[in-house]
Amino acid sequence: MAQSWKDNHALYLVTIGLLAWLMPGAGHIMLNDRRRAAVIGVTIILTFLVGLYLGSIGVIDPVGAKPWYVAQIMNSPVVFLLGRLSATGSFPVYGRPNEIGQIYTSTAGLLNLLCIVNAIHMAHMRVTERTDD
Amino acid sequence: MTAFNEMLLASFTTPMHVDTNPVSMLWLLPLLVSFVVVYKATKVYKIRPYPFIRESAVLFGSILAFIIVIALVLYGVTWIMTDQLPALLNKSAF
Repeated sequence: MAQSWKDNHALYLVTIGLLAWLMPGAGHIMLNDRRRAAVIGVTIILTFLVGLYLGSIGVIDPVGAKPWYVAQIMNSPVVFLLGRLSATGSFPVYGRPNEIGQIYTSTAGLLNLLCIVNAIHMAHMRVTERTDD
Repeated sequence: MTAFNEMLLASFTTPMHVDTNPVSMLWLLPLLVSFVVVYKATKVYKIRPYPFIRESAVLFGSILAFIIVIALVLYGVTWIMTDQLPALLNKSAF
């Protein structure tokens, strides 16, 4: 009998982690935990968008603010594209809007990292519980 | 491109005006809400609206209270260091 792809434990966990990174909440959707996914997805995306609205896409600065960028990229690979766009220097931002925008977008990224780890942990627990039964 | 789309894109390419005054510290509140909601979403076993909102509100209140206490303590330390200490040091002990 062909094995389900979920039986390949490592691949399953990596897929869940990647999905959770691609789109906040997607990892939990894969685990059929739609309510949790909705709460996580809406909150993280909204926080990220508020940060961008406050400081413009200039707050994603892969050249001048690398530590912030590392946290921001945890949101989604989309940040990488936005970083390339803002690296041209066409969206300068200084002062308080820059600070608050960076804090919002980076916190959203770190919260998504927490959710990625949570989704992988939940997937792992479900697989091990199923194996024990 | 429609005017609405242009306006939407423009709002993400131009920074907002945020004053550098104490009121701008209120921007921490939406961030705190977001932090609390995501943290609780990863912690509770099952998300049910009423208990979830109640637990999030309690955590929000606790963190906010702690932030206010820390802010008051730091304000007190700053007040002593900048207003009280220089006056004490200028005074002769004899």
